[in-house]
Amino acid sequence: MGLSAYLMLAAALFSVGLYGVLTRRNAVAVLASIELMANAANINLAAFSRFRAEATGQVFALFSTAITVAEVVVGLSLVILLYRSRGNVLLESASDLKG
Amino acid sequence: MTHFLHAHMLSVIVAAPLLAALVVLLLPARDGLAIRITSFMGAFVALIGAVQVLRTYDTELGGLQRAESVPLVPQLGIDLSFAVDGWGVSLLLLTGIIIVTGVLASFTLEEREKEFFALLLTLVSGVFGVFVSQDLFVFFLFYEIAVLPMYLLIGVWGSHGKVQAQGPFAYVWKRFEIGGREYAAMKLTLMLLVGSAAILVAILGIYFAAGGTSFNLAHLGNTTYPKALQLWAFPLLWLGFGSLAGVFPFHTWSPDGHAAAPTAVSMLHAGVLMKLGAFGVIRVGMLLLPEGARYWAPWVGGVAVINVLYGALSAMSQKDLKYIIAYSSVSHMGVVMLGAATLTVDGWNGAIYQMFAHGMMTGLFFALVGLIYGRAHTRIIPNMGGFAKRMPWIAGFFTLAGLSSLGLPGLAGFVAEFLVFMGAWQSAHPWWAVPGILGAWVTAVYVLGAARSIFFGAGPSEHFHDLHDPKKSEWAALWALSACLILFGSYPRLILDFIHIATNEYLPRVAEVAQQLAVVKP
Amino acid sequence: MSAIDLALIATFGPLGTALFLLLLPGLRRAGKAAGVISVGSAIIALGSALQLALRALETPELGRVTVQWLPHAQLGVASAAESAIQVGVHLDGLSVSMLVVVCFVAFCVQVFSLGYMAHEPPADFGRYFMWHSLFLFAMNTLVIAPNLLQLFLGWELVGLVSYLLIGYYWQKPSAARAALKAFWMTKLADMGLVAALIVLFKNTGGFEWTAHPQVAGVAGTVTLLLFLAVMGKSAQFPLHVWLPDAMEGPTPVSALLHAATMVAAGVFLVARAHPLFEQAPSTQLVMAYVGGFTALFAACIAVVQNDIKKVLAYSTCSQLGYMVCALGSGSQVAGFFHLTTHAFFKAMLFLAAGGLIHAVHSNDIRDMGGLFSRMKITAGAFIIGSLALAGVPGFSGFFSKDLILEEVFARGLYLPGIALLLAAFLTAFYMGRVVLIALFGEPSSHAAHAHESGVSMTFPLILLAVPAIGAGYYGATLSGLYGEPVHFHVSPIGMVATAMGLSGLGMAYFMFGAPKGGAALRTAFAPVGRFIALGLVDKAFLNGYRYGLRGLASGIGWFDRYVIDGLINALGYGTLEAGARLRPLQTGKVQDYIYAMAIAMIALGTAAAFLR
Repeated sequence: MGLSAYLMLAAALFSVGLYGVLTRRNAVAVLASIELMANAANINLAAFSRFRAEATGQVFALFSTAITVAEVVVGLSLVILLYRSRGNVLLESASDLKG
Repeated sequence: MTHFLHAHMLSVIVAAPLLAALVVLLLPARDGLAIRITSFMGAFVALIGAVQVLRTYDTELGGLQRAESVPLVPQLGIDLSFAVDGWGVSLLLLTGIIIVTGVLASFTLEEREKEFFALLLTLVSGVFGVFVSQDLFVFFLFYEIAVLPMYLLIGVWGSHGKVQAQGPFAYVWKRFEIGGREYAAMKLTLMLLVGSAAILVAILGIYFAAGGTSFNLAHLGNTTYPKALQLWAFPLLWLGFGSLAGVFPFHTWSPDGHAAAPTAVSMLHAGVLMKLGAFGVIRVGMLLLPEGARYWAPWVGGVAVINVLYGALSAMSQKDLKYIIAYSSVSHMGVVMLGAATLTVDGWNGAIYQMFAHGMMTGLFFALVGLIYGRAHTRIIPNMGGFAKRMPWIAGFFTLAGLSSLGLPGLAGFVAEFLVFMGAWQSAHPWWAVPGILGAWVTAVYVLGAARSIFFGAGPSEHFHDLHDPKKSEWAALWALSACLILFGSYPRLILDFIHIATNEYLPRVAEVAQQLAVVKP
Repeated sequence: MSAIDLALIATFGPLGTALFLLLLPGLRRAGKAAGVISVGSAIIALGSALQLALRALETPELGRVTVQWLPHAQLGVASAAESAIQVGVHLDGLSVSMLVVVCFVAFCVQVFSLGYMAHEPPADFGRYFMWHSLFLFAMNTLVIAPNLLQLFLGWELVGLVSYLLIGYYWQKPSAARAALKAFWMTKLADMGLVAALIVLFKNTGGFEWTAHPQVAGVAGTVTLLLFLAVMGKSAQFPLHVWLPDAMEGPTPVSALLHAATMVAAGVFLVARAHPLFEQAPSTQLVMAYVGGFTALFAACIAVVQNDIKKVLAYSTCSQLGYMVCALGSGSQVAGFFHLTTHAFFKAMLFLAAGGLIHAVHSNDIRDMGGLFSRMKITAGAFIIGSLALAGVPGFSGFFSKDLILEEVFARGLYLPGIALLLAAFLTAFYMGRVVLIALFGEPSSHAAHAHESGVSMTFPLILLAVPAIGAGYYGATLSGLYGEPVHFHVSPIGMVATAMGLSGLGMAYFMFGAPKGGAALRTAFAPVGRFIALGLVDKAFLNGYRYGLRGLASGIGWFDRYVIDGLINALGYGTLEAGARLRPLQTGKVQDYIYAMAIAMIALGTAAAFLR
């Protein structure tokens, strides 16, 4: 299997994530979609690392995973705050910056 | 100590008002007297410094004197460098006179004195800084320092006027409260900032064309710039600085701004700040970009001529006293720009002298308008009449200022206008002199007409029970300005000799001076 | 003491007095004391002037001193002396003669004012004399000027004092208006002088009247511009309209400023600058015609006036027309000689008229009547002045008027000459009319209690009567100071003029003085009188100001406020509107933003791929 297969997979995963981010109304689902997009990036990192015979990419992927976890923590706590103030977790209810 | 002061006189002049502003900020707000005295001291020290600089300026030597320099951003070639030439000394003196009298005239202020005086003094520091800066960046920096506090000074301490919605743009009135002080402050600031943006572009263009190593004015002045740059950068500087000098059609902030501003602010703004604009056009625009100046001089002069007549006629149609004086400033600044555009010795001498003379004259005017308004509680001229009976001295001072503005010999305004007209006739466009001279006549019509309506004739009616002549500090301000008008009008060489030195030095950079007098011997 | 010092004393003494009175309000408000100080300084000025005159009789060129007033050492051009902007003192026969006239009349008028203005509030009295001192300074500055620049400085300052003194009764709206009108009109004309100065400076490098602008081909321009200013100051048609209104000022002011000295400054200017005018024959021609026309025109108007001061004011216009016409004929000697004699007898006429007005508290000649028997000295002075003005042989006016007519006809200027002859007839007629009605007519109720005025008001009249009668006999000596001495001789033109004058007096007697009265004649001429009284020129100026200038100004004011400023406001409005329109783009929904970002990224990526 060549590099392009991995890249195709990552692109597909990224697109699925993007679709989710753009279409889901539920904040938790959007957060999950973002995770998909982040993982697509991680796949790319790992794939490049493998094919270029360098460890940097894999280290980066691990790093990225750790940071994604932190991001999820922040994101979920925001979702909880949103739920507390609005009574739901729908994104359109948080459009206070409407012009 | 005295030696230090002597060696750093220019820094002292620039710093004194700023220092006073800081001290004022530290004083308790309820201690009005201390605030006023501190402000007065700050202004007074600057005036003394200015007089000292004038006294010790070596006319034999000429050129830039009292140079001081501290590197500010060496990487970009920015220095905090001060020095003074013949123009600088006279304009420093003007600024000193105006700020001292301005502070005196606002001793009666009762609202938020602390902030008012702090801002006023900051602004003046900026003005002093512009006149002594020898670094283009610092010049621009001080210029902005001088312009920006105006927003607060007008917006907070200003007064309201009322304008009726009319004309092709009447729909606009629905949105703005035209004539209000917030409106005036916002308009003034926005228009001047647009100008500043243009200036900044031109300054950067000049800086990089000169190698991008130094903002020093002497360095920039010694560089020859490509013609293309000169042709686009000069109009940017002209319109940018010109918007502060009230160049048509960017003058409309001036009537609203001056009318809304409190007395001292009007005095400073019309008296000194508008001069910054004209000074910038000459000092930066014309001296750094001589070819651009020569190319655009017909436009500068043509617009200046419009300014003179248009401003005077607009002033004639006004009913609000402050608007009259504000439009007269537009007209008189036109004379300055006209003098500058002539590119002749007499024209430039006249332009700088007009800055000086008009500064004092308009300072006196605005001080008087403030006093009249404070006593009559109206600025609408048709409501007034016969005031001379109860305030004869104010009537006298007003007439004096009016006579100076219409160019009566013996008062400072005449010297300036006459020189400018002489310069105009010697320039490549002699016809400029005609509307200029007519403008002086229209000035006579509206100024003395206003004086008649306010002070003479029957009256004053019962309605005005509060009319009386000036008191204490106001006396000092009025006498000082009037005495200056007479002194510098009858013995102009006190200042003009200094101006002449600088003109003689700078003008050859811009124009062929030798050809201008067409003297034919019999 | 050197001549220069004397001239400086005569000039700056009064200035000192004026400043003294300005800066010491206590002294000024004391009234009488201020008047006495002012008269004192006038005496000193007069003494200096007379001393100068004695010296000038020996050597007319008494000296010249100048100092630099404005710096003008131009680079690469002529030496500093040639392009100098200077002020100073220039004393020759002409300036000394004028100095004597000015100081003498000013002294007489100030003494007269002590009595005439005695009932004024003390503070106003002091202010009055402060302006009088300032006037003496300004006028002397003009007279001793070494070049046209300083002459202009004095010229404007006397205009200012005229404004201040016409507006002396500033609480009267008509006086405030008249002061303004006088200033505006003369200032408008003065713009010509400014223009002349700048043209002269460019082409000759100075403001000298001895310059040769004709070499550069601009003598015509310069002199025409100068003449414009002369027309304003010396009230020549059509810029004469301010002078009659100027009679709103106190009568002594009219005598000094608006009859004897200030309005004659225009004539003095031309006499002074005759080397310039001689280079421009066309300007001289214009002057001759304007002067001749004004002389006739103003005399016509004077005939129908009932206000005694208005009669004298129009008469002044008319006499100034004589002088200007004489100058136009190229004879500055005749013009200036008439200036001196006119100054004496016209000042006397005005002061005498002031005495009459003081007695009856009215300006109207119909309110007077029969005053001769009640106030012999004043009325006598008025009659002497009238006879001098009418050109009756033996009085000073006869000599100078005769000289003018002779010169004008000698140069072949027949049309202006005939106008002057007709004006001579009318002059005698209107003066005869005033004398007959005011001094010998039916006494009105006002005149019943009239009595001779005090010594301070009669003494100046007696003093002025001496030169008003006698100046003509010294014509040769006086004219020798500033030109070829003129020896009087009987000429045909002079005889015609005398005949005209005498017939004018005769006609006046027939119409107003004869026992039966010329009622039929009066009715016959009434329509002419009504047409003249319309004041068409004055109306034209008024409408020009009201509808022309004011209209233009309000048009421009409206344009500025609602179009120029409207555009600026519209710009602000447009910015706000645009913001309002673009606002909906900011939905507040995160997903919309991400969507926009995604599209933008794709677009950028595509662009980067294709536009490599």
